[in-house]
Amino acid sequence: MDNRNRQGEARIGIDVGGTFTDVVLIDGADRVHTVKVPTTPADRVQGAVAGFQAVLRVADVKAEKVTFIGHGSTMATNMVVEGTGARTALVTTKGFRDVLELRRISRHDRADLYDLLFDNPRPLVRRRDRFEVTERLNWRGEVETPLEITELAQIADAIARTDIAAVAVCFLHAFLNPAHERQAAEFLAERLPGRFVTTSTEVNPEIGEYERTSTTVMNAMLGPVCARYIERLGGALQEKGFRGELAFMQSNGGLAAPAQVAARPVMLLESGPAGGVSAALRLGEGSGIGDVILGDMGGTTFDVSLIREGRPELRTSSLLHSYTVRAPTIDIDSIGAGGGSIAWIDAGGGVRIGPRSAGADPGPACYGRGGTRPTVTDCNLVLGYIDPDTFLEGSFRLDLEAARRAIATDIAEPLRLTVEEAARTVRAVANALMAQAMRLMTVERGYDPREFAYLCYGGAGPVHAIDLARELEMRHVVVPPVPGLFSALGMVVADRQTDRQAAVERELDSLPAAELDAMYAALERPLHEEFGGIPPKLRRRLDCRYAGQPDAISIDFPAEGHAGIRAAFEVAHQRHWNFTKPDQTVLVNNIRAEARAGTGWRGALRQHHPAEAPAPWKRRRLVLQDGPQELPVWRRRDLPPGFALQGPAVIEEQSSCIVLGAGDTARVDEHFNLVVEL
Amino acid sequence: MDIVTYEILRNGLYATAREMKIAMMRTAGSPIVHSGGDASAAVFDAECQLVAQGNDIPTMLGSAVISTKASVDAIGRDRLRPGDVIISNDAYLGGGNHQPDIQFTRPVFVEGEIVAFVMTRGHWTDIGGQAPGSYTCMTWDIFAEGIRIPPVLLYRDETPVQDVLTLIVQNTRETEVRMLDIQAQYAGCFVGDRRIASMVRKYGKDALKQAMARALDHSERLMREAIRAIPDGVYEAEDRLEPVAGPPGWPTAEIPLKVRIIKQGDGIHFDYAGTGSQTRGGINCPFSVTCNSTWFTVKAITDVSIPINQGCYRPVSIAAPEGSIVNARFPASVVAGNTETSPRIIDMLLRALAPAVPKRVVGQSNGGANSGVFGGMDPDEARVARTRRRYVGTVEPHAGGMGARADKDGVNGVRVYVGNAGSTAVEITEQTTPLLVQEWSLVPDSGGAGEYRGGLTSRRVYRVGYEEATYTVCGERGIHPPLGQFGGLAGSMFHSEVRRGDGSVAKVPAKGSVEIVTKGDVVVLQPPGSGGYGDPHRRDRARLLEDLRDGYVTGAALSDYGLSPAEAEALLAEAAHG
Repeated sequence: MDNRNRQGEARIGIDVGGTFTDVVLIDGADRVHTVKVPTTPADRVQGAVAGFQAVLRVADVKAEKVTFIGHGSTMATNMVVEGTGARTALVTTKGFRDVLELRRISRHDRADLYDLLFDNPRPLVRRRDRFEVTERLNWRGEVETPLEITELAQIADAIARTDIAAVAVCFLHAFLNPAHERQAAEFLAERLPGRFVTTSTEVNPEIGEYERTSTTVMNAMLGPVCARYIERLGGALQEKGFRGELAFMQSNGGLAAPAQVAARPVMLLESGPAGGVSAALRLGEGSGIGDVILGDMGGTTFDVSLIREGRPELRTSSLLHSYTVRAPTIDIDSIGAGGGSIAWIDAGGGVRIGPRSAGADPGPACYGRGGTRPTVTDCNLVLGYIDPDTFLEGSFRLDLEAARRAIATDIAEPLRLTVEEAARTVRAVANALMAQAMRLMTVERGYDPREFAYLCYGGAGPVHAIDLARELEMRHVVVPPVPGLFSALGMVVADRQTDRQAAVERELDSLPAAELDAMYAALERPLHEEFGGIPPKLRRRLDCRYAGQPDAISIDFPAEGHAGIRAAFEVAHQRHWNFTKPDQTVLVNNIRAEARAGTGWRGALRQHHPAEAPAPWKRRRLVLQDGPQELPVWRRRDLPPGFALQGPAVIEEQSSCIVLGAGDTARVDEHFNLVVEL
Repeated sequence: MDIVTYEILRNGLYATAREMKIAMMRTAGSPIVHSGGDASAAVFDAECQLVAQGNDIPTMLGSAVISTKASVDAIGRDRLRPGDVIISNDAYLGGGNHQPDIQFTRPVFVEGEIVAFVMTRGHWTDIGGQAPGSYTCMTWDIFAEGIRIPPVLLYRDETPVQDVLTLIVQNTRETEVRMLDIQAQYAGCFVGDRRIASMVRKYGKDALKQAMARALDHSERLMREAIRAIPDGVYEAEDRLEPVAGPPGWPTAEIPLKVRIIKQGDGIHFDYAGTGSQTRGGINCPFSVTCNSTWFTVKAITDVSIPINQGCYRPVSIAAPEGSIVNARFPASVVAGNTETSPRIIDMLLRALAPAVPKRVVGQSNGGANSGVFGGMDPDEARVARTRRRYVGTVEPHAGGMGARADKDGVNGVRVYVGNAGSTAVEITEQTTPLLVQEWSLVPDSGGAGEYRGGLTSRRVYRVGYEEATYTVCGERGIHPPLGQFGGLAGSMFHSEVRRGDGSVAKVPAKGSVEIVTKGDVVVLQPPGSGGYGDPHRRDRARLLEDLRDGYVTGAALSDYGLSPAEAEALLAEAAHG
């Protein structure tokens, strides 16, 4: 597949969020078209198909001319949060069925250690559905006790009598020797036709029984539902005339074919946010910005992630709703400070934001849908950062008076402030929370935020961007094209990617280079076939740790080969933990192979109708941090590439706006980005 | 000061504490710090009042309220200079909670004036003393628990005071790891200093001072309001602690714990008069541990969302008789007062306060760490070749039950109250130590019956692979079970035993005795369960049915729920079909 569209053809990205389904289409002339339609929670396929049809109308493109659809959805995440996955059984080693519930015994979300009334997360599999079978491997992976097939037959019979739809098999030390798991899975699959059977060896062959079990079980509980959804979406799009390729966004920021994600649905968990990071990577390739902090401010959360030296910061393990998932995932930190987060005053007169959110329904008070609590968006409106008349191109008028009333009642009157002072306070608190999240995201990983550019998206992202960058002494802010639908754009431009891993658990010094190479080759062999004939670019990684340490660090396989592993590990260790132990044994835990095929759209987006001599189209009163000011307002769509303007000024677009301070310069680059220098 | 500046500074102080902790975890050598997170950081005003802390270990932070002031007073404010860092750990000379927790305290100077103090605290995995890991109850006095560090200057002008540093490091078992711990805690303090100094540059000294004062007043006001909502009155409770099971001649009598709480208006007073004298073995509490247990309880029964700082504690006064187990004096040893006695104090306080705040208290719980400690030579050459450790010691915390609440069941197998260090994966334990884990499971019926059931405890069964090793535990509730609230029944007690190859079984007490175990012996360690809440006869039948189906409750416990044998049989039959 080419990286550009032929004349008349188009590619589409569909991002199904909790509230809106965002659709982006890039046509044969490199122009971008967008629509937002409501998500249909009861059956998300409907909203996705409605969005598909709507964008075709807007862009005037026929369904048959669409060559590609990239798709992301919060469905898998919602299933975990709401506990609506398939009823799942766990089959595990005798003596260990409670590992899933005991976890690592600490309250590892650390929400509030003083809270005695906390709710522990419900175990992913009910205890009655957790089955034990006699078998045991020792720490070297050798069989200590053989697998008892007769017990397995009884378990299969018990499962057959229930509505259990998925089975996860996870045995102690199986990452070193998959034989028992395979034997058990084959037996169960045969006895339980039509049930989704998955093993820890396939999903996450890695040391740590709780984390591995949790990941495998999550894969199982998502399996049956995701498979159905994938099939139905493909069918529904075909029915509307779509004949191209369909691919799904994964947590690692790459796309995968329907059959692949159906077998490993655990890779779908962070597909929404991953889309934004993919889009940023593609923009970065063009504009040469290597180190970027990404801030995505949506309705309920502010999500922060990092790109360093043109690569996204990844993690191999994350917490989702306090459940551990181990899969290669874009590293994202999330705090409850979105546009819809509710501001309130505690009994002592302090201003707090969130964690409660007005969501989309009723939404902020200014949406006029019955919301009466003040949100961050209401405050931005009152302060003039958002224009009530031009929000979403004027298609959705905002109720300024409702916003003022909400702020007056809940914040201004109790604190004896004017409505504008109250709004300014809420905005300042929101900024402080977001800046803190950005600082922690960088310093926790050993980086200095001042060396990064700030790329902001999400409807509310640009509205706070300049203040956040200033607070962190960052020099550049980048507002990408279509910031309000940026994740959907990412689903058009992302590449195909598959990740595989295998456990090694050997001392580096006693692992010959040739043997390690053979392990990689075995891991990579199936990957060559995954992209329909397109040769993938392979990247080797490995996880190492010092003997005695509980956690490993992932590094790239060094260019110098085997001999460079220790040094590369120690560089990473020095950066993470600020020390090395030159005399200590280094262990290789896992090897990882990442295969990527450069299938994503590449090109420079073109504008529809830039103005020849752009000028502000009006002036607007804003209440800034140091007082009210009247500022010129520019329309972003009027600004041609190469055009620059000086602050103070407002630049607004369909779903967002940015406010430049005095001395700030904004320039439109050839990729349609707005780049602000502070 | 305007509210915008105030909110920015207040948020900035909490962010500073978090960032200090990160800097420390990133650089520490002790695994319990860099992976287990057993470390804490806080910011204090110029008068040593705690103004902001991270979401860290409660026991470390509560006691820092006392130890920070003790450190500054010991050195003398006038002697402090920019670039100084004070080190301390001692329960008697520096207000510490227990000796393995090491505190660094640093004054933050701006233009020659102290505008704040910052502190970091980390659990060092060894500080010397009589046993590896510096974690045993069977100690004669505090000197046996490891090096005593009174508040002394460890850094002057940003440079280590080399003689002091060498002396401390050489008195611990892993000198290299200790150097890293020291650098880590220094780095945490340094970051805190820089962050606060930059806030002062931007907003001014007065603004910082006012913001700090206001943050304290703000939390105090919230706390007074929350306390006012508690009915006035006098609330009392008592309990009994079990002594350390030492060799012949050690005290064997139980130690009474007693409290009288006077709640009046917006203040609350705790008087521990009547509590027994300090005792032999490391189960005594320095006053800072008792204060922390008390403050923790007050915070937990009022409003957890109140921003935590020392203002929360202003409405609380505490009297504890000198020389008692809750206000120990030199030379009593203290290591497990912090982890095992402290939760017993909290259990007692919750019992006393139950009539006042019935919806905020919980059934008695396992709040302790129940650390199981093994030490011996690893006979497996393959493993030794990899770990490069022949002499292998291991300290592992274990989870018990969390008591039932007014409107929900307790929590199974979890750390609660003042500590939160996690456990190691079984697969890693087996890779690194000569122990095979045969079973790690929840224990049915270990949660006390009630309208809401107590949380279950866990059981760990090891098969010993050492040729010979010591096994000891620091736990609680081997004699007194965790009681229920409002008619809820008690949960199971602590239990540990060694099953030897010759068929004999030795019961291991909750704290004290050291067992010698040999290859093939089986060791069982089961912390206490927890108490139920409310009359078990009122347990919803549907919930009981679900518990039976999940095996949290068995037929043996159905009489506790008031079922006749016939009713029990019918319910069991129903559970089997479904």
